Amino acid sequence: MNGGARRAPSRTLGFVLLVAWAVVAAACGGSPDALVVYSGRSEALISPLIEEFEASSGVDVEVRYGSSADLALLIAEEGDRSPADVFISQSPGATGFLAEAGMLAKLPGAVLELTEERFSSAGGFWVGISGRIRVLVYNEDLIDPATLPDSVLDLADPRFDGMVGVAPANGSFQDFVTAMRQTVGEPVTAQWLSGMADNESPTYASNSAIVEAVGRGEIPLGLVNHYYNFRALAEDPGAASVNYYFPASDVGSLIIVTAAGVTAPSDRSEDAVRLISYLLDEDAQTVLTEETFEYPLARGIAPWSGLPDLNLVDGLTYNFDRLGSELAATRRLIESNGLTGP
Amino acid sequence: MAQTSGRFNRLARFGAVAMVLAFVIPLAGLAWGALRVPGEAAGVAFSSTALVPFSRSLAVALTASSLAAILGTASAWLISRSDIPGRRLIAVLVNLPLVIPSFVGAFALRFAFGQGGLIPAIPRFDGFVGAAIALTLFSFPYVTLPVLARLSVAPPAIEESARMLGSGPVTIFKDAVWPQIRPAVWSGSMLVFLYSLSDFGAVSIMRYDTVTRVIFSSRLSSPSTALTLGLLLAVTAIVADSLTRRRTARYRKSSADAVVTYPLLVWRWPAVAAMWLVIGLGLIAPLLAFGAWWIRGAGASGDGLAGMVQGLGDLVSPLLNTAMAGGVSAVVAAALLIPLGREAGRGTLLGKLGSRAAAATYALPGILAALAVVFVVVRAPGPIFVFYQTFPLLVAVYVVNFGAYSVRTTADAVASMPAVYPEMASTLGAGPAKRFFTIELPLLGPAIAAGGGLVLLSVLKELPATLLLAPIGFDTLATRIWDATGEGFLADAGLASLVLVVLSGVLTWSLVLRNPTIRTVRISARKDS
Repeated sequence: MNGGARRAPSRTLGFVLLVAWAVVAAACGGSPDALVVYSGRSEALISPLIEEFEASSGVDVEVRYGSSADLALLIAEEGDRSPADVFISQSPGATGFLAEAGMLAKLPGAVLELTEERFSSAGGFWVGISGRIRVLVYNEDLIDPATLPDSVLDLADPRFDGMVGVAPANGSFQDFVTAMRQTVGEPVTAQWLSGMADNESPTYASNSAIVEAVGRGEIPLGLVNHYYNFRALAEDPGAASVNYYFPASDVGSLIIVTAAGVTAPSDRSEDAVRLISYLLDEDAQTVLTEETFEYPLARGIAPWSGLPDLNLVDGLTYNFDRLGSELAATRRLIESNGLTGP
Repeated sequence: MAQTSGRFNRLARFGAVAMVLAFVIPLAGLAWGALRVPGEAAGVAFSSTALVPFSRSLAVALTASSLAAILGTASAWLISRSDIPGRRLIAVLVNLPLVIPSFVGAFALRFAFGQGGLIPAIPRFDGFVGAAIALTLFSFPYVTLPVLARLSVAPPAIEESARMLGSGPVTIFKDAVWPQIRPAVWSGSMLVFLYSLSDFGAVSIMRYDTVTRVIFSSRLSSPSTALTLGLLLAVTAIVADSLTRRRTARYRKSSADAVVTYPLLVWRWPAVAAMWLVIGLGLIAPLLAFGAWWIRGAGASGDGLAGMVQGLGDLVSPLLNTAMAGGVSAVVAAALLIPLGREAGRGTLLGKLGSRAAAATYALPGILAALAVVFVVVRAPGPIFVFYQTFPLLVAVYVVNFGAYSVRTTADAVASMPAVYPEMASTLGAGPAKRFFTIELPLLGPAIAAGGGLVLLSVLKELPATLLLAPIGFDTLATRIWDATGEGFLADAGLASLVLVVLSGVLTWSLVLRNPTIRTVRISARKDS
């Protein structure tokens, strides 16, 4: 360990580190030819469709999975350097956030026309892929369905004190409240929220946590999206949780769309559009409804037989675009009325 | 010789400065984001929507860290100093709750003990009590591991003398053991405190409304709110770090010798019962829940045994990814943070700065730490940006996020190192490099290994940074668990969680608890004495 013996290795070490850096940088770049998807929809729910698309189109696809909100934030932060070509979202709030941030490109009219007009953004920045209906999930051992109200607004009644699980920090609840503000107005929504808070409605982190708690009998009722209970029953057919659909005319029975769009910085927009068109193709839409129990949004595709006809549950129209731009106001309204919680 | 010593010291200083920058730069990015609009941050931080949840965060974090201090100290002492039956097994099992991701662990606890659960003992297992219990159970090994490392090099001679002078076990603990382990207990409890502040998984599943919930529910609708509250957590961590530093008094100089064990006598079975109760709640109950989900789901899907085997096969690649990410990050963190740990242990300005910055990045919810790194890297020039979403950058993010473990454990060991050895070596003409490699490093070994071990266990369950910054397609067991839990695929989540716990058990045992440096130190120290 004398001075001379150590000096030479340190230069060699520097050189080795430089080479190692170059090798690692080259090796880790990922496949440069692949179409990159950021998906808020979980791997379990979409990877079979992506594989099918790769096989039929010959396009390599790589998918980053995460929560819709986190991935939207990531794309916004990445800006022009974003590797993402396609954003698939579970929540219209996240899609709206990216559209507002100018990070989504306009889709061709041919893609937008694959669904009813109301299921895509007015500006053409995203198109709906599947729909979820807001429902009241109940525990059949604890609740007689005949006693359930005709309107979600009645859940703020003191007779439901402490009974209805909600997820106020969750995107789908926030989307629901934004839609509610548009359909029944701000004062009614505020009154409902404060009634739910006065009832000390138990708050949960997510839809699946509510469905699980209802299934165990921890709480008798919960406000969630319809398809979580079908998942829960697929895992545990003995669970006591059952979906209750409000009438189509009630604000409790709104459809919430999951959407996809092409990112503005993408230089692969042609393949990106192909992927989105594929997701609205008959085969893909059938898989979505049969495997994940969602409503297909492409025209002319029948929903899975276990679901009520869309007309029976979806009666009110509202502007999906505003789910993104109104998110901040919705959150303030939820919190100012005391409905805070995880 | 003089030239070598200058070079060694310069290199060490450079290493410390580089790591301080690695901690400070993402924090600066976060602060810039939060303070972009002047005045807005103050409005957010001092509003009741922030302060009430923030006070709840503090309350649950203080409770969990106090409980963890007691549990961690007791378990480490029982393992290393008592004749508790089955102590090797306990030594491995008691540290494993640490690797259960808090969101799935808390979910499993409620499934196990809540209404309609496996053992429906607690009708409303949630709120403050539920969150405090879950956070304590899933984080107290942050105390156990450093205290164990400290006890393994603490001089039993003092305890032996006290015993020969007729002191009872309580007096021996108070006078001879506690002064030795106090810094490790403080450090570990501080880590639990910071971990609890940053946690969103356990508190949200336990339905306890803390500041991380506000961060999560506002991150899209009002990013500046989320960033400001992140900054509030970072500042809290810096304050906490500066407070505990002052309380970490210098303690007795030590070398190691043959280990003393104390017979527990009548306390034998109560101690066994207490340890197994903790293991039962923190490890076995979640494992039972995972197993129940897996078996129930396999039964319901109709695929039966074949489906279960197929499920295991699908986890091979996430398993290897997880092990590699954890192992590489642990080694890199342990090695790169030695210089900074030495500075921090000596209490230099650079060391204090680094230690506080490390505590601050550690207290951030993972999503903010990840976004802060993204913020910096996407603005960086090409030669740095090529690493975006690659394995080396992922490791760097883990090291920045969890480096506090290595800094603290190394600093505590440096502060307690007997100055007499390096002085003697110096007198005999050994340069700083030789003194470091032959004297300091072996003495610091157990602490460096413990710090690396904590980094390892944290990386194994890390989620937000992995989701955003891992190379695309690089899924880990934690991301699999998260993906499956979110949509209610509990069978898959249960299986992946089981595999994660087994992997962690193997790694903890082979890398941390069976650490060869611990034995080396004993032998070399004995030669010295």
